[in-house]
This record gives sequence, structure tokens and C-alpha cells, in this order.
Amino acid sequence: MAAVAAATGSARPDAPEGPPASPPRGRFHFIDAAPRLGLTRVLEAGRPAKDHLLDSAGAGAAFLDYDQDGRLDIYLGNGWRLDGETVAVRGQHALYRQRTDGTFEDVTDAAGVGGNGDWGSGVAVADYDNDGRADILVTSFGRNALFRNLGDGRFEDVAGKLGIEAPGWNTGASFFDADGDGWLDLYIARYVDCTLDDVLKAKRTLWWRGLERVAFGPFGLKGAPDRFFRNVKGRFVEATDEAGLKDLALGFGFAARAADFDDDGLPDLYVANDSDPNYLYRNVGAGRFKEIGVTSSAAFDANGAAQASMGVAAGDVDGDSVLDLFVTNFSEDFSSLYKGMGQAFFEDVSRPTGVGPATFRPLSWGTAMADLDNDGDLDLVVANGHIYPQIDAHPELIGTYRQRNLLLENRSLRDDVPPGAPPETLFRDVTAAAGPGFEIVRSHRGVAVGDYDNDGRLDILVTALDSPPELLHNEGAAGAWLIVVCAIPGGPAIPIGAKVTVTAGGRTMTRDVASGDSYLSSHDPRAHFGLGKAERADEVVVRWPDGTRSVRKDVAARQVLVVRKDVAGAVPTTAPATRR
Amino acid sequence: MNLSNACRGSRLAGAALIAALAATPGTARAQARPTATPPEMVAAYEALADTILGANKTEVKLVHSILAATYAHARAELGRARDALKAGDAASAKAATENVAAAVGQIGTEGDNAVAGIRKRLLEGGHHANAEGEAQGIYDDGYVVVTKVAKQAFLDSSKAIAMLARDPKADALDAEWKKVEAAWAKHITAAR
Repeated sequence: MAAVAAATGSARPDAPEGPPASPPRGRFHFIDAAPRLGLTRVLEAGRPAKDHLLDSAGAGAAFLDYDQDGRLDIYLGNGWRLDGETVAVRGQHALYRQRTDGTFEDVTDAAGVGGNGDWGSGVAVADYDNDGRADILVTSFGRNALFRNLGDGRFEDVAGKLGIEAPGWNTGASFFDADGDGWLDLYIARYVDCTLDDVLKAKRTLWWRGLERVAFGPFGLKGAPDRFFRNVKGRFVEATDEAGLKDLALGFGFAARAADFDDDGLPDLYVANDSDPNYLYRNVGAGRFKEIGVTSSAAFDANGAAQASMGVAAGDVDGDSVLDLFVTNFSEDFSSLYKGMGQAFFEDVSRPTGVGPATFRPLSWGTAMADLDNDGDLDLVVANGHIYPQIDAHPELIGTYRQRNLLLENRSLRDDVPPGAPPETLFRDVTAAAGPGFEIVRSHRGVAVGDYDNDGRLDILVTALDSPPELLHNEGAAGAWLIVVCAIPGGPAIPIGAKVTVTAGGRTMTRDVASGDSYLSSHDPRAHFGLGKAERADEVVVRWPDGTRSVRKDVAARQVLVVRKDVAGAVPTTAPATRR
Repeated sequence: MNLSNACRGSRLAGAALIAALAATPGTARAQARPTATPPEMVAAYEALADTILGANKTEVKLVHSILAATYAHARAELGRARDALKAGDAASAKAATENVAAAVGQIGTEGDNAVAGIRKRLLEGGHHANAEGEAQGIYDDGYVVVTKVAKQAFLDSSKAIAMLARDPKADALDAEWKKVEAAWAKHITAAR
């Protein structure tokens, strides 16, 4: 990402033409640009009737800049299409390179990242070998693939060589440096212990409200244990038990998010489990963890109930400089917003913030905390879609299989509220006013957020079952912005674990650089900040993974700012000759 | 729960009956056709029922034992925390208080993650200790002793104690522990 231009202005001059001129946009306005830009790969998802849970699990997506040209590229995981008990299509994953005109070119075959023929699930992007190039992990139902970026537009699958194929139903993955040795370790959540035969021969045996037969599970199925691999100078070694990350409860794992939740400088790990208590693993040093989900109050909802958790997002939604958590859940249940109380304590504030009621009806998956209107606070985007197509026969009950996504506006900064207006909840559902991009009804799954056209407004990449992806281009009337690229000369392409703090307009905002988030997806690794009306940031501070800091003062807004770490802080690499 | 002997007996009785029926001439078979379940099968089923119901009682007792051991552990850690506070050993007090919180949380979740794994295995096999209670919303799936109300009480105390661990104070700790004792008496002791 270091090759991103130092200052790009408010809009790229060579950006493709948008739709015809229209009346002034509201605060949020999204249009699906995927078909126009060439993102057409259909993401296969089992059988139409979704006879097995795998048929409805979907696959994720990622923003990355694999060729370091400063333009975000897109990667999509892909599943299989089944015809009864027969495999009809083994879907190919897709890598789309962004051209200079903003359109995308399918370079999957040339890059060699179409996959090993297994059923794709999650996508995580990280520079696991510290050679300065972004690599791609695709988790699978089957063998995982780790595509090592060779630097010439091609990739090599090294998962087998490195020992992380881990056959089974692998789902969300997170790269993070658990032990502080400068090498990214890898946690992979896993869902159900089942075979391909189980999937192919599955029958819908679960009665849904006594009305329809639907796919069975996950209750009554055996969970697959999550796995942790320690990165030893570019090689992975299984270290699940040794690290204290043994999945004792065999939770149905869907998503994993590493972040420093207790702000002690060490990355912790949150794991979202479907229908089981979620895990919060506190890093106690030396790459070892202690599970504190229950005592931290992040395992259950406010009623002490385990929820059917699908996706996760982490960020500071209330501006108190403490990381909060957002977990998406099944339909007819709140998605949960956990307010960070400091030192890895949380409180479920879903109801008082308005998030719970707004998310009660849909079945929610991918998500992101992102400042979509550049006003300085983090909004919530939520991908929705049910798992039972059979509910369409009874739409009056809980809606339909294909659902709209949700956009919840953070109202921390209520600059459009007249004085004396009645109090309102922190979040407000603005989906209906968010443009045609939020009118699309599909069975959505993954969400990745990134500013693909470098115009300072975050765009949203969404996957859906049996459909091409959506790229929701942000055309809202947004405020000022700043994107910060953290670069370590001679080091990894993405300094995962770095924390960026921007002070502007009297507010302090923080973002962390992560890999693996949302549901099966990875966001643009650059730190994006909405600055509202502030045209300058007073200060930009980057806390690097090794604890050192870089500070920039009085920074102009509306630019992509590259903050380079002092060379003395470079991390080890296996391939010094290929470093940038 | 070892059901293999009972099941084997049942299978043998069934096989013997089928063999006997097969050896009977057609007319005689029609005349002698049993109208009741063969006594051997009834006896086998009775034995199996004893085993299943006995296993259920054993399960309840075992879970009570797990809870009691966890409660005892919490009390022991509480004592350690108090001693450490008296000695002015803040680090030990913090660690012990965190352990109290963890143990109280484990009472709420009817065991730790290892126990949860077993509970999940039982659910996979279709075993629900409190199927009716689950249907009525009283119990979480697979829970044997701890009701949802009890769970919430212990989880609340666990969180409160965990937050106290940041800067433990004897008075606050004692006050919170009294809530744990009350919840224990109300929800666990009374359930025996």
C-alpha cells in the first residue's frame, strides 16, 4: 500500500463516469457499481433449496492492493453449485485488478488464484512472510489455500507446504502477531464437523414452525474445533493448545477479529460462534491466551443468552477511545452492540442505542463499523439474508429469504439536529434513504469496506448467495476525510496491529489495522477517517505493532497520507532481496 | 451412560422372537399370534428405562457436584483475595478476584467450556435434561440445574466481581459475594 500517492485530492481525475447528473445527494447515497465496473463473477452456493447449512453459508470478499499501484483490487471467495447429490460447478475464486480507469479486470487465471477446487469460504489478506506483498488466505470447506504473492502478478498456493490446509469446514480467519515476534500468526474459526458426503446427501429434516422442512442444524451437529497456527519465520506450526486457544466448547465458529481490546499493547482475539457463547481470548503475554468471554460480558447478550453470531466488527462507535464490538446475529434476535468499558470489559447496549430493534427482523452476517458520511463517527453496515428459502412461502412471518442490507447512522455528531430536538438513540436506521444500493434484495453474506476510487468516501463490497457481488459506490454528500497508510520500509505490506489516532475538529478518532473481520471478509487495510467540517487534522499518531510511535502534525484533509515507520523499526523478512 | 448391555439384551430378545415366529407354520402362526408385546422385550425395555432414568439422576447429581466444586473454588479464591488485600498484595488480590469472577461465571454457565463441549455432545445425541423447561423458556438448551434466571444472576455477579478486580476492595468484594451466596442458596441449593 506504500505506493499509494501521497495526495490524491478529492476525486481521481481518471475515475469512470458516474451516472447522469441527479438532484443533490443526501447524507448517504449508494449505487451498485459492480455490473458497470466488471464485477460479474457469480458466487455459487450449493442447492437452490439449501438442503445443508453449507449451501447457505456463502463466501467472503476482500479489498487489497496486491500489485501496489495505489488502486484497490478485489478478491472473492467462491463455493460450489450442487444439483441434488451431484457437484454441478466448482466455483472459481476471483481476483479483480483495478484498471487505471476504475473498472476491474478479471485476472484470476493469470494470477493463479482460482483455487484448489475446494469450496471457498473466508478471505483474509496479510503479508504472512514479510516480503512486502499482500498474500491471500482463502479458507474452505476442504483445504485452505494460502496464495503467496510472487510480486509479478502471480501467486503460488503454499498452504500445503506450510501446513495450514487444515481440511474441514474452515470459516473466518484472522492474522495477527500473537507473540510479538514480528511474524503474523493465524487463527481460523471452524464451524461444523461434517463430511462432503454429509453435505451431498443432506435432507431437510428440521421443521420450521411446523410449516416447512428446512436444513438441519447447527443444534444437533458437532462443532469443529478452531485452530491456531504460530508463524515461525514464515512457516506455520499448529499451536492451538499451547497458546491456550483450544476450542473446548466446540463452538460453531464463524468469525474472528483480533484487536487490542484491553489496550495493553497485545492483540486479543474475539470469536463469534453461531448459537454458542462467543469467546474473548485475552493475550496474557508470550503469545498465550486466557478465555474471558463470560467475565468480560462479551459472550452473551444482555439477557445472558448465547446468540447465533455470524459476523463481527470492532471500533470505537461512541468516541471514548475504547474499542466497542458489534456482533451480527440470527433473525428475530438483536444483533449485539457491546460498549467497551475498558480493560476488555463490555456491556451490551443494543437496546438503548437503537441497534437491537433495528436489527431484530433480518438475519445478519457481514458488517463493518465505518464512517460512511465522513462526519467523524462510525456508522454500521449490516449484510442480511436468510438461510431458508422456504420462508418465502410465509413472508408475513419474518420476511423473505432475500433481504435488504441495513445502514445504521451513528448519531454521535448530530450536526443536523435543531436545538431542543428530542433525544434519540445513538444509531438510526437510514437504509431507506441510502440510495438504490440499499434497495437490493438478495441473500447477502460478506461485507468488506474500502475506498476503491480514492475519493475519500468508503465504498461497500457485499457478497450474496448465487449472485455476483455488489460494489456499493458511495455517492453521498460526505464531509472532509483523511486516509492513513501505515508503511514499514522493508517490512510487511500491511502492518497488522498498528493503531492510528487522528485528532481533528476537537475529536480524537482511532482505527486499528486488522486482517480478517466482518463475516469471512477483509476490509481495505488503510485507516479511513471522516473529518466532518475540519479541513486539517491537528495530529496523526501511528502506534506501530512494536509499540513505537510516529507523529504527524497539522495534516491537511482530503489526502491519502503515507506514514512511514522509522527504518530502524523494520521487521524481519524471509526474502530481503524482494523488499520494496 | 453405558447402555450397551441393555441394548444387546433387547436385540437378542427380538431376534429370538423373530426366529420363533418364522419357525411356526402359517395357520398355527395366525392362531398363536401374540397380541401383547413379548414379555422378554418388556423386561428389556424396563431395564433400559431404569438405566436411562438412573443416568438422568446421575447427571443431575454430577452437575450439582460440578457446581459445588466451582462454588468451593470461588470461596477459596475469595479467601485468597481477602488475605492478599490484608497483606497489601495488590497483584495477588487482583489475580484471586479475577479467579472468583471466573468461577462465579462458570456457575452461571453450568461449567466451563470443557463442560459446555460435553453438553453440546449430549444435545447432538438428542438428550435434553430439561426438555420441557427448555420449551417453556426456563432453561437454556442442555442445562441441567441452572435456570436462565439463575444464570443471569451469576453472570451479573461475575461481571461485577471481574470489574472489582481492577482495583479490589474488601468491602466491595464482600458485598458482591453476598449476592453470590444469595443466588446460590436460592437457585442451586434449593434445586437439590
